Amino acid sequence: MTPAPLGPSPSRRQLFFGMLQVALSAFGGGLSAWSQRIVVEQRRWMTNESFLTGLTVARLFPGPNQINMAVYIGAYFRGLPGAMAAIAGMLLLPFSLLMLVGFVYFQFHALPAVDRVLTGVVAAAAGMALSMGFKILDEYWKDPLALLLAALTFIGLQFLHLQLIPVVLVGGPIAMALYWPRPAKPKP
Amino acid sequence: MSGLDTFLQVIWTFLRLSLFSLGGGNTLLQEYHHLAVNHFHWITDSQFADLYALAEAAPGPSSMIVGLLGLGAGWPHGPLWGLGTGVAAEIAVLLPSTLVMVMAALSWSQLKDAPIRVAFERGLGPITLGILFSVGVTVLRTADHHLPAYLVSLLVCALMLFTRISPLYFMVVAGLLGAVGIIQR
Repeated sequence: MTPAPLGPSPSRRQLFFGMLQVALSAFGGGLSAWSQRIVVEQRRWMTNESFLTGLTVARLFPGPNQINMAVYIGAYFRGLPGAMAAIAGMLLLPFSLLMLVGFVYFQFHALPAVDRVLTGVVAAAAGMALSMGFKILDEYWKDPLALLLAALTFIGLQFLHLQLIPVVLVGGPIAMALYWPRPAKPKP
Repeated sequence: MSGLDTFLQVIWTFLRLSLFSLGGGNTLLQEYHHLAVNHFHWITDSQFADLYALAEAAPGPSSMIVGLLGLGAGWPHGPLWGLGTGVAAEIAVLLPSTLVMVMAALSWSQLKDAPIRVAFERGLGPITLGILFSVGVTVLRTADHHLPAYLVSLLVCALMLFTRISPLYFMVVAGLLGAVGIIQR
């Protein structure tokens, strides 16, 4: 079966509504899976290969992965204005909802019942935070240098109470130098 | 401090941090905690834990916690300052990383085999790994103060790693455990 041909490049308005659709569909979770389904399969804006490249770039560069992915899709077709349209579409509804939740929280969190429920939810959320590191540990398990760098970063932040910015500014270039690709064998 | 001072302080804080959000943004949580609770005293320790939980539970990217932190910082000056500061905080934290990402989207394919791309891809991973573990420990210490809470957190962590159950269920169950008083602050 040959893949269906790509549709025309989306306009800024279409980028906005496409990302709005992604955000709405993903209200129960799975944002990247939904953006793939909608951008690649339903609207046929880009090939799966371009999408996966975008996902890699989105994970590598600073910024939240899912928002970076929206930026990538928007910029790919319409440059900076396209990126802005895509972010706006993706964040409009969830961000408004979250601000509303925040309003209710600051108004009512002193109520004992609300506070008790939140205490429980917070413990679950802490477990989710703890799982983030373990989730990517697999990729580095057989690389002693990576584990050493990770351990030093952890010790610096957690025990020496260093700030994140200097740690990244010093540790990042050192790590990049250590992983700089070397030619397989020197040329004669 | 006036509402405007806080507003500007929040914007500058998040603009400055934006480009250091490696590994999907969660790497900044520990820094957010340090700045919002210990340094600027925008919110208390337990409010931070609450806002983190709300951002995780709500639909959409959990990095939107920045909007909630801005809301909390502006709240003492009135709800409108809270709202304005929250929106400004989110824009501030996204703007620099978005500009860099636009440039990356337009040029990354041309850098295909460049050494700097390889070094960037492989070198920053281990640093991110170390930061994420540190963030996990910091959130855990902020959120939990008693054995039942630690047990629930560790159980959720294990379930996140070994099952594909939606984390929303964990939050509902843990919320009930809190309501009946098994998990206490």
